[in-house]
Amino acid sequence: MLPNPATVESVAEAMNMAEIKGRSLWADARQRFLHNKAAVVSLIILALVGAFALFGGLLAQYENDFVDFTLIGSNAYKGVPSLETSHYFGTDNSGRDLFARTVQGTGISLMVGIVGALVAVVVGTLYGATAGYFGGRVDGVMMRIVDVLMSIPFMFVLILMLVIFGRSIFMLFLGIGLISWLDMARIARGQTLTIKNKEFVEVAHATGVHPVKIILRHIVPNLLGIVIVYATLLVPNMIIFESFISFLGLGVQEPATSLGALINEGSSTMQYGYYWQIAFPLFFFVVTIFAFFFVGDGLRDALDPKDR
Amino acid sequence: MFSFVARRLAVAIPTLLILIVVSFVLMYAAPGGPFNSERPLPPAVLANIEAKYGLDQPFWKQIVNYVASVVTQFDFGPSFQYKDRSVNDVIAQGFPVTLTYGFWSFVVAVTIGVSLGVAAAIKHNTWLDYLAVGISIGAQVLPNFVMAPILLLIFTLWLGWLPGGGWNGGQWPYLIMPVIALSTSYMASIARITRSSMLEVLNANFIRTARAKGLPMRRVIWKHAMKPAMLPVLSYLGPAFVGMITGSVIIDVFFSTGGIGQFFVNSAFNRDYSVIMGITILVGALTIFFNLVVDILYAWIDPKIRY
Repeated sequence: MLPNPATVESVAEAMNMAEIKGRSLWADARQRFLHNKAAVVSLIILALVGAFALFGGLLAQYENDFVDFTLIGSNAYKGVPSLETSHYFGTDNSGRDLFARTVQGTGISLMVGIVGALVAVVVGTLYGATAGYFGGRVDGVMMRIVDVLMSIPFMFVLILMLVIFGRSIFMLFLGIGLISWLDMARIARGQTLTIKNKEFVEVAHATGVHPVKIILRHIVPNLLGIVIVYATLLVPNMIIFESFISFLGLGVQEPATSLGALINEGSSTMQYGYYWQIAFPLFFFVVTIFAFFFVGDGLRDALDPKDR
Repeated sequence: MFSFVARRLAVAIPTLLILIVVSFVLMYAAPGGPFNSERPLPPAVLANIEAKYGLDQPFWKQIVNYVASVVTQFDFGPSFQYKDRSVNDVIAQGFPVTLTYGFWSFVVAVTIGVSLGVAAAIKHNTWLDYLAVGISIGAQVLPNFVMAPILLLIFTLWLGWLPGGGWNGGQWPYLIMPVIALSTSYMASIARITRSSMLEVLNANFIRTARAKGLPMRRVIWKHAMKPAMLPVLSYLGPAFVGMITGSVIIDVFFSTGGIGQFFVNSAFNRDYSVIMGITILVGALTIFFNLVVDILYAWIDPKIRY
C-alpha cells in the first residue's frame, strides 16, 4: 500500500520544521543572555555610557580645558549645576566645565579598560593556548614565568615605572598591558588542556596540520566563550586599577582626566559642600562598573556550561 | 611535604632577586639623578656627594653592593630626600602603622565575610541570602578610593563622630575609617566565595549522609562542611593580602595615617628612588612570603593536593 501523499508531505514538513528549530551554540547562548534581565538592562546602560563618552562632547557648551576665571572663588553659588549657565554638571574647582570633563574622563576610563582587556585577550589567550597545547617542559617554563610575574606587587612596580619614565598615558597602558594577561593565560591554558584531547584536534594533528595552525584554527575558537566572559569581567577591574593610579595623581595627567582623577578632585572639595564635583564622576564610575559586572555575569551564565 | 616546600622556595627566592635587580636597573636607567636641582651644584661638590652615596662606581659594582646589602643586612641604603634618615628608618616609622590597620582590616574582612557567606548559604533563597548577595555586589563597585571619601563625608562631615584623619598612636577612633575603607571590598569577595563554595558543599553526598545519621545542623556545618568550604577562601587570602597592602597607599594618602603608603607616594612625587625601591622590595618580599604560606597551608589542609 502506498503511503498517503498528504502524510508524506506533513512528515516532510515536520522534518523541515525540526531543521529550522535546530539552534547553534551561540544562538542558545544569546537566548539565555536575553532572558537575563539584569544583564540586558546593564548592556543598555553600557551603551548609553558609551554614547555619553563618544557624543557627550557635542552637547557640552565649553571646552574641557577652558578655565572660567570669573568663577574662581565663587564656585559655591556660581558653579552649581544648572541649565541656565550650560554647566550641566557644574564646574570644577578651577572653573572648568564638569560636564565636558566627565565626558572626557568617562571616555579615557572606558578606553583604558577596553585596551587592557584587549591586550589580555590577545596575549593571554595565545600564551595560554600555546602553553597548554605543547604541554610538558614548555608548559612548565611558560606557566612558571606567569607564576613569577603574578607574585610581584604590580601596583608598586607600575608606580616605580611611572616615576622613572615619566607619568604618561602610554606608560599607563604599558603597565596595564603587562599585568592584565596573566589571569587570562591561566584560564586559557586550563581550557586548552581539556580541548586538546578532543577528537577534532587529534584528526588535525594526524592529518599533519602545523601546530601553529591547530592552535589558531582549532583551539582558540573553542576558547572564545570563556575568554569573552573573562574579558568582560576584566574591563571593570582595569577601570578600577587605572582610577586607583589616577586617584593618587600618578596616572592620567592634566589637562586630560579620568574618572579616578575626577573622583580625587571631587573628594578634596566636598568638605566645602561642592558635592556635585564628586557626585557626577562617582555616578558614572559606579554605574559603569556595575553594568560591566552584570553583563559579565550574564555572559558567564550564557556561555560557561559549567555554571548552568 | 618537604620537597613541596623546597620547590616553592626555589621559585620564591629567584622571584625576589629578580624584583630587586629589576627595580635597581629601572632606577639606574632613570633620566636625571637625585641631586639634579634647578641650581646645578659645582662639579666638585656633586662628585663628593656621589662618592658618598657610591654613585661614582661602575654599574655592576653598584648593583652587587645593593643586592648584597639588601639580602644580607636588610639595608636599603640612605634616602635621597630625607637627608637625616635611611630608607630603613622610613620603613621602621611607617610599617608598624600599615601593619596595624592592615591586620585589623584582614581580621574584619575574613570574620564578617565568612560569617555572611555561611549565613547566606544556610539560609539559601531567604531575605538573609538576598541581603548578603546585595551587600557583596554593592561593595564590589566601591573600591577603597571610593569608600574613603564616602566614609569621610558621612562620619566626619555630616555626623562628626570620627576624626577625619591622622593616626595618634593608633587609637580606635582613628582606626575605624581606614579599616572599613580597606576591608569592605575584600569582605564582599570573601562573602561571595564562601557562599558559593558552602552551597556546593551542602549539596554534597557526605553532608546528606551526616544529616541522615541525625546529626544536628549546627554540628554538620561546623564539623563536616566548614573545612572543605573554606578551601577556596583560603586561596583568595593571598590576593586579598596583596590588595590590602596596595590599598594602604590610598588609605595613607586619604586619612594621613602615616604608613608606608604615604612615604611611597611622597617619594614618587619627589623622585626619591631609594625609598620607592625599598618599599617596593619590602612589599614584594611580603607578598611572596604570604603566598608561600597560603600555598603550604593549602597543601597541608587539602589532602587532594599532590605535592
